[in-house]
Amino acid sequence: MNKWFRSGSPWIWLSAGGVSISLISVLGLLWLIASRGLSYFWPSELYQFDLTDQHGAKSVVIGEIYDREQIPVSQLAHLNLALDPEQEILERLLIKTGNRELVSLDFRWLLSHNIQKTQTPNDLVVIERRTNGNFYGFIESVVVDGKEVDESKLSELLARVDNFQDQIDDLQKSDIGAINYQLERLRLKTRKYQLENKLTAELQAQIDSEIATLNQDYALLEQELMGYREQISRDHIVMRAMDGQLVTINFEYILKVTFNNQLSVIEKTALFFSHIGSFLIDDPREANTEGGVFPAIFGTVLMVLLMTVIVSPFGVIAAIYLHEYAGKNAFTKLLRIAVINLAGVPSIVYGVFGLGFFVYMVGGSLDQLFYSENLPSPTFGTPGVLWSALTLAILTLPVVIVSTEEGLSRIPSEMRHGSLALGATKAETLWRIILPIASPAIMTGIILAIARAAGEVAPLMLVGVVKMAPNLPLDGNFPFLHLDRKFMHLGFHIYDVGFQSPNVEAARPLVFATALLLVSIIVALNMTAVSIRNKLRERYKMLEH
Amino acid sequence: MDNLQIGRHISGQFNEDLERVINNVMHMGGLVEKQLTDALASVEQANVELAKQVLTNDYQVNAYEVSIDDECTRIIAKRQPAAGDLRLIMAVVKTIADLERIGDEAQKIAKVALESFSSSQQDLLVNLDNLGRRVLEFLQASLDAFTRMDCDAAIKIHQMDDKINREYEALMRQLMTYMMEDPRSIPQVMTVIWSARALERIGDRCQNICEYIIYFVKGKVVRHTTAEDMKNL
Amino acid sequence: MISISPKALAPGSDTSFKKKLDLTNLTPDQVALDINKLNLFYGKKQALNNITMSIPKGQVTAFIGPSGCGKSTLLRSINRMNDLVDDCHITGEINLHGNNIYDKHVDVAELRRKVGMVFQRPNPFPKTIYENVVYGLRIMGENNRRKLDEAAEQSLRSAALWNEVKDRLHESALGLSGGQQQRLVIARAIAIQPEVLLLDEPTSALDPISTLTIEELINDLKKQFTVVIVTHNMQQAARVSDQTAFMYMGDLIEYSDTNTLFTTPLKKKTEDYITGRYG
Repeated sequence: MNKWFRSGSPWIWLSAGGVSISLISVLGLLWLIASRGLSYFWPSELYQFDLTDQHGAKSVVIGEIYDREQIPVSQLAHLNLALDPEQEILERLLIKTGNRELVSLDFRWLLSHNIQKTQTPNDLVVIERRTNGNFYGFIESVVVDGKEVDESKLSELLARVDNFQDQIDDLQKSDIGAINYQLERLRLKTRKYQLENKLTAELQAQIDSEIATLNQDYALLEQELMGYREQISRDHIVMRAMDGQLVTINFEYILKVTFNNQLSVIEKTALFFSHIGSFLIDDPREANTEGGVFPAIFGTVLMVLLMTVIVSPFGVIAAIYLHEYAGKNAFTKLLRIAVINLAGVPSIVYGVFGLGFFVYMVGGSLDQLFYSENLPSPTFGTPGVLWSALTLAILTLPVVIVSTEEGLSRIPSEMRHGSLALGATKAETLWRIILPIASPAIMTGIILAIARAAGEVAPLMLVGVVKMAPNLPLDGNFPFLHLDRKFMHLGFHIYDVGFQSPNVEAARPLVFATALLLVSIIVALNMTAVSIRNKLRERYKMLEH
Repeated sequence: MDNLQIGRHISGQFNEDLERVINNVMHMGGLVEKQLTDALASVEQANVELAKQVLTNDYQVNAYEVSIDDECTRIIAKRQPAAGDLRLIMAVVKTIADLERIGDEAQKIAKVALESFSSSQQDLLVNLDNLGRRVLEFLQASLDAFTRMDCDAAIKIHQMDDKINREYEALMRQLMTYMMEDPRSIPQVMTVIWSARALERIGDRCQNICEYIIYFVKGKVVRHTTAEDMKNL
Repeated sequence: MISISPKALAPGSDTSFKKKLDLTNLTPDQVALDINKLNLFYGKKQALNNITMSIPKGQVTAFIGPSGCGKSTLLRSINRMNDLVDDCHITGEINLHGNNIYDKHVDVAELRRKVGMVFQRPNPFPKTIYENVVYGLRIMGENNRRKLDEAAEQSLRSAALWNEVKDRLHESALGLSGGQQQRLVIARAIAIQPEVLLLDEPTSALDPISTLTIEELINDLKKQFTVVIVTHNMQQAARVSDQTAFMYMGDLIEYSDTNTLFTTPLKKKTEDYITGRYG
């Protein structure tokens, strides 16, 4: 035994054990997130349950099985169920019944005890809608322009609606959005002239004429829009819900109609991927509990990129100063310790700092100086994507500084001396020799910064993230990148959907799906940076002396 | 040995190599000295046996020369001696060449003992004996100076060659007279002249050895210089 | 055929057949560098004590001595690489063309262009061979492609490397062998046409064959440049240099032509050092 200890194998086992535990936890985390998240996209069976309650009343429930749980009978005692006294455990099903306009709750618990019959009728459909969530039921009739048509026309009709919807979106977002934007700018221009007392009748006339032209365009577009709207709301579908009630649903609100029980595995797979696709590219609906997360993805990536663009030069410059130019004295040491300790400050503190300093002080002053025409509504004096990026840049600055300095100090002094001995100045040496060689280390710092920044939520809640941003920070209107706009963020989206939404049950899979997405995005960003770093490393591979 | 400072090398192996070479040179010097003594003795005593011994022993001197030469080559190849060490090796290589020649000259002298001399010619040999003793003294002094690497002694004894040369010239004149007086003795006199000549050559070689000592100690080449310059060292 | 006149063998004459310089009394056009009463301190510790010497032009001068004797320090003070060391300060002067390089107005970068340096370990930059060679020229602002090409070829030829690398000029310099790298570094140093080339133990990291190649190269280089070399290898100093300076504990003990120093050194310390004795 003693010999075994001295041979060192216990330590190998111990370290191997440590590694396995870490590995298992990482894989477990990914597995949990992936399984819960991805199951959200899989088209599940639709069931029709025939129920009889203890009083003998019969009813029908249609929906998807959402969850199952075992509960002890004792907990149900107050319900006075006529139960088999032998039985101790009962199974309970959570059914997603949808049809929000008919019932207040679109989820319902069923005791399997009460279920008389479970069917999966082939003609049962689920309709994904723009509002009010899914509708489960049977198609009664399809009405086109007031005339009933065959069900087989359904996909054709849906495509038509989809087409119109796209055009409407286009019109609203780009053309009408642009006009609105220009109108707003003209209003601000007028206001500015007013503030500066430069508004002459001539200018006013010019602006008025511009406004008139825009309004004319607007009217035209609106007319077009109205035309599309009319087209799109031409048809409707009549559905029979589980309680036999007939419900008319206009095609305008229908996204997708699927006969889940008729689908083959291949069709289901196709549907699965199309669900994922729409999750990635669609805007959220119904207070974020449905639809996609595109604005959040976009916001996250944009903010991280902005942050990277800001933090890299600052971090590198600071590291170069600390390592190359600062004297080796107590003050520098103090500075270095301060920088390292900055990395340990809780992120919410940075959020408070960002709000107090960037948003109110810097942003407020900017508004006073350049955007006075907009006041009292603030432009930069309110949380926005720029301030978020800056706040996270400060948060991640220590990481970049430390790893850049590390990289600088690893460069053999021969490189420096070699360049200096050829008559290069210190700056030339830095620029031509030192920085390229240190670039892999700088990239490492940036990778760490990205990893840290992409996962931060707390400070962002103070300096720019919102639950629902009306516009992306990047669009077709000059100056294209709107740094003052608020944005959506996946991390915040998870928090919001999971804990702030009115329908927690419905949002739960979405939380996992979004978490999976966030992880994937961070991994993707990191992988890109890692591959860049590896390329640089290969290029500047030092000879191992 | 003080001037040599062999023992202070950081490499003990190098010390041993140099010591071995020096010791071998000493042994060789002793051997050559004995050869010359024996040769002179054999002439004086007309001892044919001794003379023959001198002739046969010469191979030992030659063997020493070859082995020391070898050793020096090896040292140069392996140690790349510099400065004092280099000069020591060079001095040794040259010294052993001269010692070997001295051995050869001793052989020539011993050959005289093999000749038969009439009693009237015995006084010829007495003169030769005088010169021989002086040369032997010179050789001993040179070897002694070499052993101690004593530059001052070397400079001093370097002058002894002049006396030997003068004595040699006097002997030559004397032998000329003999030859003129008694032409029949010419073959014997010639033999004596050869050995006198050999002794004179030994003197020159001893002088060379002194020069090597000076070269080793001072690093100055004193060959082909005048006595005046040598004093100014 | 060497004919020796009897006069050449006159007393006191030098027996080597090479013309010897009188190092204490060089004419101004024979001098490349004139070091005058140079003292160098690292903090409170004095590393060089009152060094005075003249380094002749177009010759190879070697500094030898035990580790820590200050030979590298002296070498580095010639192109002011010691400026990079904190709390290093210097009194005395080093004159290049009669101008003190420690004068306040001297542009250090400009000085280092005139006094190139090659270090102990080959330190090619992680760039292509070509970019390594033309680095100095680019720093000087030369961007004419043709001129750079010419200079690169010429320097590589001078450094006896052209034939080995001409087909892979645009590959990474780090792929070269140690000896080739060191020659590349020399090519890089001579590409900017310095007047003096300082070599700080240039072969200590190389194998014997590469060492010989570099030594041969040094012999060629002295036709164009004044070469100052620091070496731990005494035989190397003996082989490549015309003058040798022996330093010990920050003092210049002996400075004379190499032939004399390696056969008949004047000082006992020198003798002890070069023959490998306890000092």
